[in-house]
Amino acid sequence: MLILITGGSGSGKSSYAESYIDAVSKGMPKYYLATMQVFDEDGRRKVERHRELRKGKGFVTIEQPFSIEEALERMKPGRKSALLECMSNLTANEMFGGSVRVSGKQAADQILQGIGKLQKELEVFVIVTNNVFEDGILYEKSTREYMEALASVNSTLAAMADVVIEVVAGIPVVLKKGEYR
Amino acid sequence: MKLIIGGYAQGKLKYVLQNYCLGADSVWEGTLPTGKPAAETLAGEDEAGVSPVVINRFHIWFRERLEAGEAPEAVIREYVTGNPDCIIISDEVGNGIVPVDALEREYRERLGRILVELAQNAEEVVRVICGLGQKIK
Repeated sequence: MLILITGGSGSGKSSYAESYIDAVSKGMPKYYLATMQVFDEDGRRKVERHRELRKGKGFVTIEQPFSIEEALERMKPGRKSALLECMSNLTANEMFGGSVRVSGKQAADQILQGIGKLQKELEVFVIVTNNVFEDGILYEKSTREYMEALASVNSTLAAMADVVIEVVAGIPVVLKKGEYR
Repeated sequence: MKLIIGGYAQGKLKYVLQNYCLGADSVWEGTLPTGKPAAETLAGEDEAGVSPVVINRFHIWFRERLEAGEAPEAVIREYVTGNPDCIIISDEVGNGIVPVDALEREYRERLGRILVELAQNAEEVVRVICGLGQKIK
Protein backbone atom coordinates (compact mmCIF):
# COMPACT_ATOMS: atom_id res chain seq x y z
CA MET A 1 0.00 0.00 0.00
CA LEU A 2 1.32 3.42 -0.99
CA ILE A 3 0.29 6.56 0.88
CA LEU A 4 1.28 10.07 -0.20
CA ILE A 5 1.09 12.87 2.34
CA THR A 6 1.54 16.48 1.29
CA GLY A 7 1.41 19.86 3.03
CA GLY A 8 3.32 23.11 3.49
CA SER A 9 5.98 24.22 5.99
CA GLY A 10 4.79 23.79 9.55
CA SER A 11 1.54 22.15 8.39
CA GLY A 12 1.99 19.19 10.75
CA LYS A 13 2.46 16.73 7.86
CA SER A 14 5.39 14.89 9.48
CA SER A 15 3.72 14.26 12.76
CA TYR A 16 0.56 13.16 10.96
CA ALA A 17 2.56 10.81 8.68
CA GLU A 18 4.24 9.25 11.71
CA SER A 19 0.99 8.53 13.48
CA TYR A 20 -0.50 7.25 10.21
CA ILE A 21 2.21 4.66 9.62
CA ASP A 22 2.09 3.72 13.26
CA ALA A 23 -1.63 3.00 12.98
CA VAL A 24 -1.43 0.90 9.80
CA SER A 25 1.77 -1.07 10.28
CA LYS A 26 1.08 -2.93 13.49
CA GLY A 27 3.62 -5.61 14.26
CA MET A 28 5.88 -4.79 11.32
CA PRO A 29 9.33 -3.27 11.56
CA LYS A 30 9.10 0.42 10.60
CA TYR A 31 11.90 2.13 8.75
CA TYR A 32 12.35 5.88 8.58
CA LEU A 33 14.08 6.95 5.38
CA ALA A 34 15.71 10.27 6.20
CA THR A 35 16.71 12.32 3.16
CA MET A 36 17.87 15.58 4.65
CA GLN A 37 21.50 16.58 4.37
CA VAL A 38 22.77 18.74 7.19
CA PHE A 39 24.85 21.76 6.19
CA ASP A 40 24.33 24.23 9.03
CA GLU A 41 22.94 24.90 12.49
CA ASP A 42 19.45 25.42 11.12
CA GLY A 43 19.49 22.00 9.45
CA ARG A 44 20.87 20.39 12.57
CA ARG A 45 18.04 21.86 14.66
CA LYS A 46 15.48 20.61 12.16
CA VAL A 47 16.86 17.07 12.18
CA GLU A 48 17.03 17.17 15.99
CA ARG A 49 13.40 18.29 16.23
CA HIS A 50 12.28 15.47 13.95
CA ARG A 51 14.31 12.91 15.92
CA GLU A 52 12.66 14.12 19.09
CA LEU A 53 9.21 13.78 17.48
CA ARG A 54 10.02 10.20 16.39
CA LYS A 55 11.42 9.11 19.71
CA GLY A 56 9.74 6.09 21.22
CA LYS A 57 7.75 5.41 18.05
CA GLY A 58 9.91 2.43 17.14
CA PHE A 59 11.45 3.60 13.86
CA VAL A 60 14.72 2.27 12.52
CA THR A 61 16.32 5.29 10.82
CA ILE A 62 18.17 4.93 7.52
CA GLU A 63 19.96 8.04 6.27
CA GLN A 64 19.47 8.01 2.52
CA PRO A 65 19.87 11.47 0.95
CA PHE A 66 20.55 9.97 -2.54
CA SER A 67 19.65 6.81 -4.48
CA ILE A 68 16.68 5.98 -2.29
CA GLU A 69 16.48 2.34 -3.48
CA GLU A 70 19.80 1.62 -1.74
CA ALA A 71 17.94 1.81 1.57
CA LEU A 72 16.71 -1.71 0.74
CA GLU A 73 20.19 -3.09 1.37
CA ARG A 74 19.88 -2.06 5.01
CA MET A 75 16.44 -3.56 5.62
CA LYS A 76 15.78 -7.02 7.00
CA PRO A 77 13.87 -9.55 4.92
CA GLY A 78 10.19 -10.11 5.71
CA ARG A 79 7.18 -7.85 6.18
CA LYS A 80 8.05 -4.22 6.69
CA SER A 81 6.88 -0.65 6.33
CA ALA A 82 8.70 2.59 5.66
CA LEU A 83 8.18 6.32 5.95
CA LEU A 84 10.14 8.48 3.51
CA GLU A 85 10.66 12.07 4.52
CA CYS A 86 10.76 14.15 2.47
CA MET A 87 10.44 14.04 -1.31
CA SER A 88 11.34 17.74 -1.63
CA ASN A 89 14.75 17.11 -0.06
CA LEU A 90 15.39 13.96 -2.05
CA THR A 91 14.61 15.76 -5.32
CA ALA A 92 16.85 18.71 -4.43
CA ASN A 93 19.68 16.36 -3.42
CA GLU A 94 19.45 14.35 -6.63
CA MET A 95 19.48 17.50 -8.77
CA PHE A 96 21.90 19.78 -6.95
CA GLY A 97 23.64 17.73 -4.26
CA GLY A 98 26.00 15.54 -6.26
CA SER A 99 29.29 16.32 -7.98
CA VAL A 100 27.43 16.91 -11.26
CA ARG A 101 24.21 18.84 -11.74
CA VAL A 102 21.45 16.44 -12.79
CA SER A 103 18.49 17.63 -14.88
CA GLY A 104 15.06 17.73 -13.28
CA LYS A 105 13.74 15.14 -15.69
CA GLN A 106 16.59 12.73 -15.02
CA ALA A 107 16.29 13.21 -11.24
CA ALA A 108 12.53 12.58 -11.34
CA ASP A 109 12.96 9.39 -13.42
CA GLN A 110 15.66 8.11 -11.12
CA ILE A 111 13.59 8.79 -7.99
CA LEU A 112 10.48 7.12 -9.41
CA GLN A 113 12.48 4.04 -10.40
CA GLY A 114 13.88 3.84 -6.88
CA ILE A 115 10.43 4.26 -5.35
CA GLY A 116 9.12 1.45 -7.59
CA LYS A 117 11.80 -0.90 -6.29
CA LEU A 118 11.07 0.00 -2.67
CA GLN A 119 7.33 -0.30 -3.15
CA LYS A 120 7.70 -3.93 -4.28
CA GLU A 121 9.38 -4.86 -0.99
CA LEU A 122 7.29 -2.79 1.40
CA GLU A 123 3.87 -3.72 2.72
CA VAL A 124 3.16 -0.14 3.72
CA PHE A 125 5.03 2.78 2.17
CA VAL A 126 4.27 6.30 3.33
CA ILE A 127 5.89 9.15 1.42
CA VAL A 128 5.87 12.72 2.70
CA THR A 129 6.17 15.47 0.14
CA ASN A 130 5.93 19.22 0.22
CA ASN A 131 3.56 21.70 -1.36
CA VAL A 132 6.05 24.34 -2.55
CA PHE A 133 3.89 25.56 -5.40
CA GLU A 134 1.65 28.30 -4.08
CA ASP A 135 3.72 31.32 -3.08
CA GLY A 136 3.15 33.16 -6.35
CA ILE A 137 6.83 33.95 -6.82
CA LEU A 138 8.34 33.46 -10.28
CA TYR A 139 11.67 31.88 -9.45
CA GLU A 140 14.74 31.73 -11.68
CA LYS A 141 15.22 28.89 -14.14
CA SER A 142 16.89 26.22 -12.00
CA THR A 143 14.39 26.62 -9.15
CA ARG A 144 11.54 26.34 -11.65
CA GLU A 145 13.13 23.21 -13.06
CA TYR A 146 13.27 21.84 -9.51
CA MET A 147 9.61 22.73 -8.88
CA GLU A 148 8.58 21.06 -12.11
CA ALA A 149 10.56 17.92 -11.25
CA LEU A 150 9.02 17.72 -7.77
CA ALA A 151 5.56 18.39 -9.21
CA SER A 152 5.96 15.57 -11.71
CA VAL A 153 7.18 13.17 -9.01
CA ASN A 154 4.22 14.20 -6.83
CA SER A 155 1.67 13.67 -9.60
CA THR A 156 3.08 10.29 -10.57
CA LEU A 157 3.15 9.17 -6.93
CA ALA A 158 -0.41 10.43 -6.39
CA ALA A 159 -1.56 8.39 -9.42
CA MET A 160 0.17 5.27 -8.04
CA ALA A 161 -0.95 5.83 -4.44
CA ASP A 162 -3.87 4.15 -2.72
CA VAL A 163 -4.38 7.14 -0.45
CA VAL A 164 -3.37 10.80 -0.87
CA ILE A 165 -3.78 13.20 2.03
CA GLU A 166 -3.10 16.90 2.33
CA VAL A 167 -2.40 18.07 5.87
CA VAL A 168 -3.79 21.55 6.58
CA ALA A 169 -3.11 23.06 10.01
CA GLY A 170 -2.57 19.52 11.29
CA ILE A 171 -5.90 18.33 9.87
CA PRO A 172 -5.92 15.56 7.25
CA VAL A 173 -7.87 16.46 4.11
CA VAL A 174 -8.35 13.40 1.93
CA LEU A 175 -7.53 14.02 -1.75
CA LYS A 176 -7.70 10.40 -2.86
CA LYS A 177 -9.38 7.71 -0.92
CA GLY A 178 -8.30 4.12 -0.71
CA GLU A 179 -8.61 1.31 1.76
CA TYR A 180 -7.76 3.21 4.95
CA ARG A 181 -9.39 6.34 6.48
CA MET B 1 -12.79 29.54 19.00
CA LYS B 2 -13.11 29.24 15.26
CA LEU B 3 -10.15 29.24 12.90
CA ILE B 4 -10.47 30.39 9.29
CA ILE B 5 -7.49 29.89 6.99
CA GLY B 6 -6.72 30.14 3.30
CA GLY B 7 -4.56 31.88 0.72
CA TYR B 8 -4.28 35.59 0.09
CA ALA B 9 -7.49 37.37 -1.01
CA GLN B 10 -9.64 34.23 -0.98
CA GLY B 11 -12.60 35.89 0.72
CA LYS B 12 -12.01 34.72 4.28
CA LEU B 13 -13.33 37.83 6.03
CA LYS B 14 -16.40 37.99 3.80
CA TYR B 15 -17.05 34.33 4.53
CA VAL B 16 -16.87 34.99 8.26
CA LEU B 17 -19.11 38.06 8.23
CA GLN B 18 -21.73 36.30 6.10
CA ASN B 19 -21.73 32.89 7.72
CA TYR B 20 -21.58 34.04 11.32
CA CYS B 21 -23.85 37.07 10.73
CA LEU B 22 -21.36 39.62 12.01
CA GLY B 23 -20.76 43.26 11.19
CA ALA B 24 -17.52 45.06 10.43
CA ASP B 25 -17.61 46.43 13.98
CA SER B 26 -16.53 43.04 15.31
CA VAL B 27 -13.36 43.02 13.23
CA TRP B 28 -9.84 43.75 14.44
CA GLU B 29 -7.29 44.16 11.66
CA GLY B 30 -3.88 42.63 12.30
CA THR B 31 -4.09 43.15 16.03
CA LEU B 32 -5.53 41.59 19.14
CA PRO B 33 -8.29 43.64 20.76
CA THR B 34 -6.78 46.28 23.00
CA GLY B 35 -9.46 48.96 22.93
CA LYS B 36 -12.19 49.63 20.43
CA PRO B 37 -12.60 47.74 17.16
CA ALA B 38 -11.02 49.19 14.04
CA ALA B 39 -14.33 49.94 12.36
CA GLU B 40 -16.06 51.04 15.49
CA THR B 41 -19.74 51.90 15.55
CA LEU B 42 -21.80 53.55 18.25
CA ALA B 43 -23.75 50.39 18.86
CA GLY B 44 -20.54 48.45 19.40
CA GLU B 45 -19.35 50.73 22.14
CA ASP B 46 -18.94 49.15 25.55
CA GLU B 47 -20.69 46.06 24.34
CA ALA B 48 -17.65 43.87 24.01
CA GLY B 49 -18.70 40.28 24.59
CA VAL B 50 -22.05 40.72 22.86
CA SER B 51 -20.79 39.61 19.47
CA PRO B 52 -17.62 37.55 19.09
CA VAL B 53 -14.37 39.27 18.28
CA VAL B 54 -12.97 38.62 14.81
CA ILE B 55 -9.20 38.86 14.52
CA ASN B 56 -8.49 39.39 10.84
CA ARG B 57 -4.96 39.10 9.37
CA PHE B 58 -3.70 37.15 12.36
CA HIS B 59 -0.56 36.34 10.34
CA ILE B 60 0.37 40.04 10.13
CA TRP B 61 0.10 40.45 13.88
CA PHE B 62 2.14 37.26 14.37
CA ARG B 63 4.84 38.36 11.95
CA GLU B 64 5.19 41.79 13.56
CA ARG B 65 5.68 40.16 16.96
CA LEU B 66 8.33 37.81 15.52
CA GLU B 67 10.15 40.72 13.91
CA ALA B 68 10.15 42.46 17.29
CA GLY B 69 11.75 39.35 18.80
CA GLU B 70 8.70 38.52 20.93
CA ALA B 71 6.97 35.18 21.53
CA PRO B 72 3.49 35.62 20.02
CA GLU B 73 2.55 31.98 20.68
CA ALA B 74 2.19 32.57 24.42
CA VAL B 75 0.19 35.76 23.87
CA ILE B 76 -2.37 34.20 21.53
CA ARG B 77 -2.72 31.10 23.73
CA GLU B 78 -3.58 33.31 26.66
CA TYR B 79 -5.94 35.44 24.59
CA VAL B 80 -7.87 32.42 23.30
CA THR B 81 -8.16 30.97 26.80
CA GLY B 82 -9.72 34.22 28.00
CA ASN B 83 -11.84 34.69 24.86
CA PRO B 84 -13.09 31.26 23.82
CA ASP B 85 -15.69 32.77 21.45
CA CYS B 86 -13.23 34.57 19.19
CA ILE B 87 -12.80 33.96 15.47
CA ILE B 88 -9.25 33.98 14.10
CA ILE B 89 -8.59 34.55 10.39
CA SER B 90 -5.13 33.85 9.01
CA ASP B 91 -3.44 33.51 5.64
CA GLU B 92 -1.72 30.21 4.97
CA VAL B 93 1.87 31.00 4.02
CA GLY B 94 3.63 27.64 4.16
CA ASN B 95 2.88 26.40 0.64
CA GLY B 96 5.98 27.70 -1.09
CA ILE B 97 9.67 27.20 -1.73
CA VAL B 98 11.49 27.28 1.61
CA PRO B 99 13.03 30.78 1.73
CA VAL B 100 16.76 31.40 2.05
CA ASP B 101 16.20 34.21 4.56
CA ALA B 102 16.19 32.89 8.14
CA LEU B 103 13.40 35.16 9.43
CA GLU B 104 11.16 34.32 6.48
CA ARG B 105 11.74 30.64 7.15
CA GLU B 106 11.04 31.03 10.84
CA TYR B 107 7.87 33.00 10.10
CA ARG B 108 6.48 30.21 7.89
CA GLU B 109 7.41 27.45 10.32
CA ARG B 110 6.19 29.15 13.47
CA LEU B 111 2.98 30.50 11.95
CA GLY B 112 2.29 27.01 10.57
CA ARG B 113 2.82 25.39 13.96
CA ILE B 114 0.70 27.85 15.90
CA LEU B 115 -2.08 27.33 13.34
CA VAL B 116 -1.81 23.56 13.90
CA GLU B 117 -2.16 24.18 17.63
CA LEU B 118 -5.05 26.63 17.25
CA ALA B 119 -6.77 24.15 14.90
CA GLN B 120 -6.42 21.42 17.51
CA ASN B 121 -8.21 23.55 20.07
CA ALA B 122 -10.76 25.08 17.70
CA GLU B 123 -14.39 23.98 17.65
CA GLU B 124 -14.43 24.65 13.91
CA VAL B 125 -11.76 25.03 11.21
CA VAL B 126 -12.68 26.35 7.76
CA ARG B 127 -10.37 26.66 4.76
CA VAL B 128 -11.57 29.27 2.28
CA ILE B 129 -10.71 28.90 -1.42
CA CYS B 130 -12.28 31.09 -4.14
CA GLY B 131 -14.65 32.46 -1.53
CA LEU B 132 -15.94 28.97 -0.73
CA GLY B 133 -15.61 27.64 2.77
CA GLN B 134 -14.43 24.06 3.14
CA LYS B 135 -15.14 22.99 6.69
CA ILE B 136 -12.25 20.70 7.60
CA LYS B 137 -13.10 20.40 11.28
